[in-house]
Amino acid sequence: MGRSITLARILLGGVFAVLLAGAAAAQQLTVWHDLGDNGTKWFAEAGQAFAEAHPGVTVRAISFPTEQWFGRVIAAINTETAPDLIFNNYERVIRIAGETGKVMDLRPVFAGIADKDFLSDDDLRVATYGGRMIILPVQRVQMAFGVRKSWLRKVGENFPATWEDALRVGGKFQADDPEGTGKGSVFGFALEAAHPRDLIHMLDLFTFGAGLRHTLIDPAGAIVIDEPQHAKVLEEFLKLFTTYHLVPPDTINYSFNEMYQVIEGGRAGMFRVGDWNVTKWDSQAIKGDFLVGPWPRFFADRQNAVVIGGMRGVAVPENSPHKELAEQFAAFLLSKPAQQASLRDVGSAVRKDLDVSGLSERASMFARPTWPLVAYDFPESVHSWYPQLEAAFHRKLLGAIANPPTDYPAFIHQTAEEMRALAKTLAQKPG
Amino acid sequence: MSLALPLHAAGRRGWPGRGEAVFWLFALPFAALTVLFGLWPILLGIEVSFTDSATALRPLPRFVGFANYAAVLADPAFLQSLWRTLLYTGLAVAANVGFALLYALLLDSVAIGRGRTVLKLIAFLPVVTPDIAGYVVWRWLFDQSFGALNATLKLLGLPGFGGIASPGTAMLAVLLAELWHHAGLYVLIFLANLAICDRALSEAAEVDGARAWQRLLYVVLPQLRPALALNLVYALIQFLKTFTVVVVMTKGGPNGATNFVSYYAYEMFDQGNYGQATAMATLLFAIVLLAASTAWRLGEPGAA
Repeated sequence: MGRSITLARILLGGVFAVLLAGAAAAQQLTVWHDLGDNGTKWFAEAGQAFAEAHPGVTVRAISFPTEQWFGRVIAAINTETAPDLIFNNYERVIRIAGETGKVMDLRPVFAGIADKDFLSDDDLRVATYGGRMIILPVQRVQMAFGVRKSWLRKVGENFPATWEDALRVGGKFQADDPEGTGKGSVFGFALEAAHPRDLIHMLDLFTFGAGLRHTLIDPAGAIVIDEPQHAKVLEEFLKLFTTYHLVPPDTINYSFNEMYQVIEGGRAGMFRVGDWNVTKWDSQAIKGDFLVGPWPRFFADRQNAVVIGGMRGVAVPENSPHKELAEQFAAFLLSKPAQQASLRDVGSAVRKDLDVSGLSERASMFARPTWPLVAYDFPESVHSWYPQLEAAFHRKLLGAIANPPTDYPAFIHQTAEEMRALAKTLAQKPG
Repeated sequence: MSLALPLHAAGRRGWPGRGEAVFWLFALPFAALTVLFGLWPILLGIEVSFTDSATALRPLPRFVGFANYAAVLADPAFLQSLWRTLLYTGLAVAANVGFALLYALLLDSVAIGRGRTVLKLIAFLPVVTPDIAGYVVWRWLFDQSFGALNATLKLLGLPGFGGIASPGTAMLAVLLAELWHHAGLYVLIFLANLAICDRALSEAAEVDGARAWQRLLYVVLPQLRPALALNLVYALIQFLKTFTVVVVMTKGGPNGATNFVSYYAYEMFDQGNYGQATAMATLLFAIVLLAASTAWRLGEPGAA
């Protein structure tokens, strides 16, 4: 009898322990990102791999359009309803950190990762803000110059290496109607201009792609747009809209969506190709009909390059519901299985030991870059008021596009002076 | 116009009568919903306008008094945006209500015959068309490279229309798209009023020798005062808050030509400037309230 009672106790205890362990292990990590379906697929695969060492743990990834992602993340963190992890570009996480003050410093987590030598000092610099490691850098963002392959063939040109080449090729695209949809229906370049980040981002690509550092302001706070080489790039960039007419006339109202419609709709021959675009554009929309390479060379004494637009990474809110597990999953995203899935699904990773054999030619070029690379400088990480300066610069440039100046150097000089005055005012403002 | 009082309500004190109780029984759920989903968000928005943006969404935000209002009123881009909003509202209200009045009078005319149903359909179909779909089509119509409008103008040998790509024409282009979308509703309200107008008065005036324009001015229009007031108030509210058409067609551009206050506030909100964004929204709310109540008062019988 006594033995039976003991056995029953042991059994009950066992069942209770199993139930308790099950309840403890059955945890769900929630990740909010903006990578769309490809990103969700990647998180699902990474989550399954993570669960092999963490039974019962599932990962639920939710993708939001970028503009909604901001609002939702800020509101959730500030109202104690934060997700376990957030994933986005470095500069966007900077904004979340600034708005909420509740993004974890991941230096201790990073210190605990053994396999991390593939990350360079440059990589780690675009993960750190205000002395804190706000993201674990998981995907390198590369932005190359893309050209329609069949169009080049039809107009008898090669991939444009210099700015003069790009202008000539753009002119031929518009004159020769390579798509056969009627003259005036296709354009040299697909750009965007509606919002400050739209237009200045495009200028960033031409500026950094030409081998220059800084688009508007340097880390010391000096305005650079009227330095001779910067002024040259800016003038040529504006003339794409006003003098060369190599972009659709409605570009002044275009944001990302409209720019993508122009690219994917076959209405422009030259465009930005981000590493995250390649997977889709290899199989759908453009169907592989594009070449990628460095941005056009402007100056003989400067190396043109593909632009590293920083890092996408994972961050953990201070009020993450499963903070410890979230840190472990964040670290796991740097492991080989998670990185291999990232390369396959999103087209981007940071590890150098990944298998690239299954990738397309273009995806391989991003995965194992042999082209020169130049990194974007993220002025907002140094000057917290940069977005206000950028918005004012945007207004000036839009004004020039709408009412083209007769004297570009004079316009650029005057704009530089106005930006200097504004930067000084903004820098003096408290907070 | 006056609000109808609940049954047996006037001059009564103490417990409500049966009719009054039934009235409140039906009214209370909707009153509660209005307070919850209408007034509460407005009050919260006003509260946020007095807080520091960086702390606005935290449980204990930092209050900064009127600093956001001062910053907004010192922002030249906001003042330009406000001026553009008021100009656009004036033009859009005049265009929509004027067009709707003429269209309704045309539909009410006996001369139009069997075409009336088709014309009613033409006016009202855009109202029930989803606004985003409609404005996307308008954006394509105005497109400078493949838009049907400029293709037609070119075919006719006429100069091109800048549409939404030119700062000089963008406001007009937006106004045309909104006229297409909204005018049908105003037509409907005028038609409802015309249906209850006393035709005998017009006929008597005609017998007395009044010309057509005199009958319109002195006999028909005074009878259309309720519809005019309603349409004016509704149009004022509608166009002061113009937003969707801007998001879809111009994003406030080109060069700020259609950067109306609603959109500018949205942009500020999107950039995390919650305090200034809600300060703008509160100012706009006050303007809407003032304009609408003034227009309503002017439409009251006996008003000058």
